[in-house]
Amino acid sequence: MTTRRPRLILPSASAASAPASGPASGPISGLSRRSFLRNSAATAGAVAAASALGAPALAQARSLRIGSYGGYFENSFKEFVYPEFTAATGIEIESVTQPNSSDWLVTMQNAASSGAVPADLSLYARDTMIRAARIGGLLAPMDPAAMPNAEGLESRFLYTGDAGLMGVGAMAWFTSMVINPNVVEAPASWAEFWDVETYESSLGLNKLYNSYLLDIAAATFFDGAETMGSKDGIMACMEKIAELKPCVGLWWSAESQMEQAMKNEDVIGGTYYHDVAGLMASEGFPIASIFPREGNPQDYGSWCLTEGSEKSAEAAEFINFASLPSTQALMSRKIGTAPLLPQSGTDLTDAEFASVSGTPAITPAYEAYLDEAEFIKEEWEKMLAA
Amino acid sequence: MSTPPHAPAPAQARAQARAAAQQADRADPGAGAAGADLSAPRGRPGATGAPVDARPGAPSRGLRFVHAQYALALVVAGLCLSPFALVFAISLGEVEAGAAWNWGVSAANYARVFVGLDWPESASFVYMRKLGWSLAYAALGAVIAVAFAFPFAWAMTRRSRRAQTVWLVFLLSSLSLSEVFVVMGWDVLLSNRSGLPMAFRETGLTDWLKAVGWFDVLREIGLATPRNVRFKPSVFATVLTLSYLVFPYAVILLYPALSRLDPAMMEAARTMGARPFTVIRTVALPACRLPIAGAALLLFVYLLGAYVAVTVFADPSRQTLTITIYESVRGATLNAPFGAAQAMVLLVTAVACLGASLALAKRAERRS
Repeated sequence: MTTRRPRLILPSASAASAPASGPASGPISGLSRRSFLRNSAATAGAVAAASALGAPALAQARSLRIGSYGGYFENSFKEFVYPEFTAATGIEIESVTQPNSSDWLVTMQNAASSGAVPADLSLYARDTMIRAARIGGLLAPMDPAAMPNAEGLESRFLYTGDAGLMGVGAMAWFTSMVINPNVVEAPASWAEFWDVETYESSLGLNKLYNSYLLDIAAATFFDGAETMGSKDGIMACMEKIAELKPCVGLWWSAESQMEQAMKNEDVIGGTYYHDVAGLMASEGFPIASIFPREGNPQDYGSWCLTEGSEKSAEAAEFINFASLPSTQALMSRKIGTAPLLPQSGTDLTDAEFASVSGTPAITPAYEAYLDEAEFIKEEWEKMLAA
Repeated sequence: MSTPPHAPAPAQARAQARAAAQQADRADPGAGAAGADLSAPRGRPGATGAPVDARPGAPSRGLRFVHAQYALALVVAGLCLSPFALVFAISLGEVEAGAAWNWGVSAANYARVFVGLDWPESASFVYMRKLGWSLAYAALGAVIAVAFAFPFAWAMTRRSRRAQTVWLVFLLSSLSLSEVFVVMGWDVLLSNRSGLPMAFRETGLTDWLKAVGWFDVLREIGLATPRNVRFKPSVFATVLTLSYLVFPYAVILLYPALSRLDPAMMEAARTMGARPFTVIRTVALPACRLPIAGAALLLFVYLLGAYVAVTVFADPSRQTLTITIYESVRGATLNAPFGAAQAMVLLVTAVACLGASLALAKRAERRS
């Protein structure tokens, strides 16, 4: 994708990293969320946006390298968010492609051991962020005073480790209940998925142990996050998921598998990303994203500052900008992410808000997934294999 | 072949060069090995007492060649063995809950592969079952591919040379399709709205199955939903795709043996009254048993590492060790040591299978 953003000659501090902009323009990560579905929409939007934007001021002295999930995600950031930031602050952004998985942690570890800084700011899932903070030497604490807008976000999206503020929420997304509205009625509760009469071999559920099915079971049949706080509670949720197995026709691991299965009617319901389901529905495919009474699991990504980065001031300015209600709304409209503040705090219309978010939200038991990772993973494997 | 009298035989030359190299090493222990090796023999051509090459510089060339061979062997051994050594070293590491893994000398990861995390409180064979599925899919896929490839390659060798070339080119070009493409293709072919289930529904086969009561049997074994038949995920789809993946390899591996088969043997059998099937069973198959076994073994080892087909077509209860290796190393737990331990177990199992097959083949050879 081409932009009208002029290539600038960067000052010496960032000149060495200039080649890193190479991979940024390609739709690299086939596995990343959202990278597969909306290329055509992205292209059209990009052309429109590129023509609408004026050329930013030349001869920038300040720059910042930011990592984001490759493909649609990154392209949208480059087209809609970064230019606004550059126009507002004069700081030039260089985009770096990163995976939306623990893989990024491996990259960061390797980079840290060789003294490199692949990106000044990058996106971390909450569990990966906590893991990185525990490993140490990967993330640098940030100064809350330099980013006053971050206080406007819901407090659960700020992560403070032992060393200080380690991560500020960037955007959120929902894994929601989806159904084929041509075949089944919209369930009022997740519990209806356990009805073998209706759903025998017909649900598509995420196969990974940390895909929040356990949290759904906890919220539907037990006391929610509290239940996930003990091994007994986790096992109770696990047994509940085991009862769901006769209804599962597909345990998907790649997002595209579930997309195809819904399109082909191999499955008639399951779990999928709320915003992508909405887009598929708008393209005429038989899928509806439902918020049952227990809600849907909400996950989010955080901006984290890389240890060793010399751009902490610029990074703080970017996070401050990204935390603005207007930027959150812009991201919801253009990228399909859920805002990290209530709808009333933004200028999103009801329809716009509903297309990316909903209530209630189930907050995943992140600590359990970290501290009991091997236990949960192995019990999950056993449950699936039984 | 006669050797000129002034030149040593190749074996002699190698021995001579080796002896010269040892002599040189002894003569100049302080010098770097390479420098001493290359310079010393030139000054003392007859020092070893071995036959002397009259041509100046000849021992040196031979010596260089020998050392180059050693160096090459070292490089190849290093390139081949160092990844294994690294994986083995990683497999002894330990993971910190919710953080990174560290180097270590723990056998806990191996214990977990065999008896589960909770050992000794309780034993779980979840990873052994996955290993079992790895072996089962690989064996089934390889055997089915070879079983279909044999008659195919047989029929191919009966065609004109031109037709054989066309078929070979076609098969070779089909190898350019990656596993991902093949799996995508079969995924579409087995899909409810665009593939085989659609054909079942549209032709009335689904209704007929329902009418005669067989549909319920299919539902019980997981090959149908209440609405229609479904072929994925299933063992059937997985084995089908794996066999399809390696079928061209099987044909290409069997083709040389079958094309070299002496037609006179078959003609003799025919003139003595054997039917075509008897000819294949009693003449062609025994004559090709080594290539057949070799092809099956090669494909078996190849299929042990299959990933995409299994992840797409196999139900999680029937997935292989390859999948959990990847999930351990790259998944959310980032437990590379456990992934490495599983990989070592898979590797040792593959080597053991190969060793057992070779031993069996040798025994069969001795008997016959």
